[in-house]
Amino acid sequence: MGKKELKVAFLLALRALQRGSRSSVVLTVLIIAMCFTNMVFLPGLFNGIGQSITKQVVDYEVGNVLVSPKSGDKYVTDLDATLDLINGMPGVERATPHLSKSATLKYRQRLLGVSVRAISPNDEKYVSPLYTRMVAGSYLGDADTGEVIIGKPIAGDPTIKEEDEFQASLGGVRVGDSITIEYGNGYKKDYRIKGIYSTGWYQADNTVYVTMSDMELVEGAPIDYADYITVKAKPGYSEKFIKDELQQYGVSQKVQTTADLLSKSMGRALQSFAIINAVSLLVGIIITTVVLFIVITIKTLNSRRQIGILKAIGVDKEVIMHNYGFQVIIMAVLGISFGVIITSLLAVYMTYHPLVTPEWSATLYLTPLDLFTNSMILFLASIVAGYVPAWQVSREDIQTAMRA
Amino acid sequence: MIEIEDLRKIYRMGDIEVKALDGVTLDIEKGEFLGIMGASGSGKTTLLHMLGLLDEPTSGRIVIEGNDVSRFSEYEKTMFRLYKLGYVFQDYALVPDLTVMENVSLPAMLRKDRTEEQTKKDSFGILQRIGLCDRRDHLPRELSGGQQQRVSIARAMVNKPEILFADEPCANLDSENSAMVLDLFHEINEEMKQTIVMVSHEDWHKKYFHRIVRLKDGKVISDGRNETHH
Repeated sequence: MGKKELKVAFLLALRALQRGSRSSVVLTVLIIAMCFTNMVFLPGLFNGIGQSITKQVVDYEVGNVLVSPKSGDKYVTDLDATLDLINGMPGVERATPHLSKSATLKYRQRLLGVSVRAISPNDEKYVSPLYTRMVAGSYLGDADTGEVIIGKPIAGDPTIKEEDEFQASLGGVRVGDSITIEYGNGYKKDYRIKGIYSTGWYQADNTVYVTMSDMELVEGAPIDYADYITVKAKPGYSEKFIKDELQQYGVSQKVQTTADLLSKSMGRALQSFAIINAVSLLVGIIITTVVLFIVITIKTLNSRRQIGILKAIGVDKEVIMHNYGFQVIIMAVLGISFGVIITSLLAVYMTYHPLVTPEWSATLYLTPLDLFTNSMILFLASIVAGYVPAWQVSREDIQTAMRA
Repeated sequence: MIEIEDLRKIYRMGDIEVKALDGVTLDIEKGEFLGIMGASGSGKTTLLHMLGLLDEPTSGRIVIEGNDVSRFSEYEKTMFRLYKLGYVFQDYALVPDLTVMENVSLPAMLRKDRTEEQTKKDSFGILQRIGLCDRRDHLPRELSGGQQQRVSIARAMVNKPEILFADEPCANLDSENSAMVLDLFHEINEEMKQTIVMVSHEDWHKKYFHRIVRLKDGKVISDGRNETHH
């Protein structure tokens, strides 16, 4: 098969697409584009959910790296020294401690069991965007005492009756209201609501934040311990780098990256997503291959007489086969390109209008590698689907083809 | 130029055998304008298909310019058709998606011994010769039947084949267009000394032929020079 033959095959393919049935070409291109969208949408959505969960876990739970008590210990001890050590390391934006206590909130006749988390508000600003999520009132200051910020679901909605609530709440607490918090150790105190926030992350929104100074009153002693320390990395520094550095610098506590934690806590869920993705991909490929096979088979069967004539005037069967092959390649390139445009537009749209559920909000997360891989898979499937019927018809003898 | 020796073609339809060609033996000379005539079903198109390497005989031998074509592989037959033979079909058989120029150029584009420039020049020349140069960018559906058949002849001639086969080329044309096409064959034969083998059942066509072979039930019933050739 020489250059001349390929050139003739390409000319025949191009002209068939340009001057043949436009609706058939448009329909086939649309089918390929939809198949591509189908192949990447669900995996992209799952990736988006994964990314969304990861971001929220990083933002509101663990930062980039989590320093937790070593095995057998209840707390991260010698807190000030540990924080100084970590904050002094290159690549660390800020390290901040969290100490949580279970407690019961009381507002008017309502009682609600929650987790009260003590934080260092100013340091927390470097690690978590919580301070940007205030929907009413304001964020905590380091020196605040007797004040708390609470999640919107805890504050509740005064227009919804208690029995109709999806989730138990305080029934419509507002900024400036006073609530009573009774801790597990029996300590009880009235707090003013300084602010109400909404992050969209279930666990954070169901937490009450107080300052470390306030928690010292609860504990009845200065606090030099924490449940864990969250560490934020500076841009350009990987979680792995920070983890290795912490261990190298002698942080004796347990050090885990977000990826370490997610692989443990969400490993099964991610595995399930991966299986669903693989099945979705396989179904997409099968559908595309079968559809293209049918389209090209119909096209070749309708052109049998023309194939016979081409052979009669001395056009080799390979030229005829490549003619249909090129038609499929051109339609596949157009369809895949259109599919990439559709999915990219969907991804942009979903960035601004994410799919929001009570548990998470998801965008369509697609990397160039995802698009490239799926494009290549679909392209190869298209070539197989196009060449098989073309090969079959091009082998037919001239008389049979011409009589068709 | 062409030697046909005891050529037979038998079609089997269940238990029934139909002898489309029944022991045809012929010699065709170079530069001859041969007419194959006969009633419908006499085997003339079958014979043309055998000579044009479009079909396989059941038995017998065809030798074209010293080549026993029955021994050719499929690829060799394709190349032989491309380089040595030209074929004009009853229904023109043009590629509907190609322009007149592209249809005519198609066989020449595949020849390894022709440059792109030569292909263009030859195609343009032959279109000028048939008077359709101004229609070169038109699609076949935009032409009349007579014009389409002239394009089909141009396509068959572009590679300057040794032999031109025509299968009832005027069957779908009115008498005026038929005369125009037959005149074109005559000119090609006269000027280029082109061997032409044409199938026809129209009696008035015979004046164009040097020699007429008549078939009946797959057998040659007469073979002789045409005294009425003009």
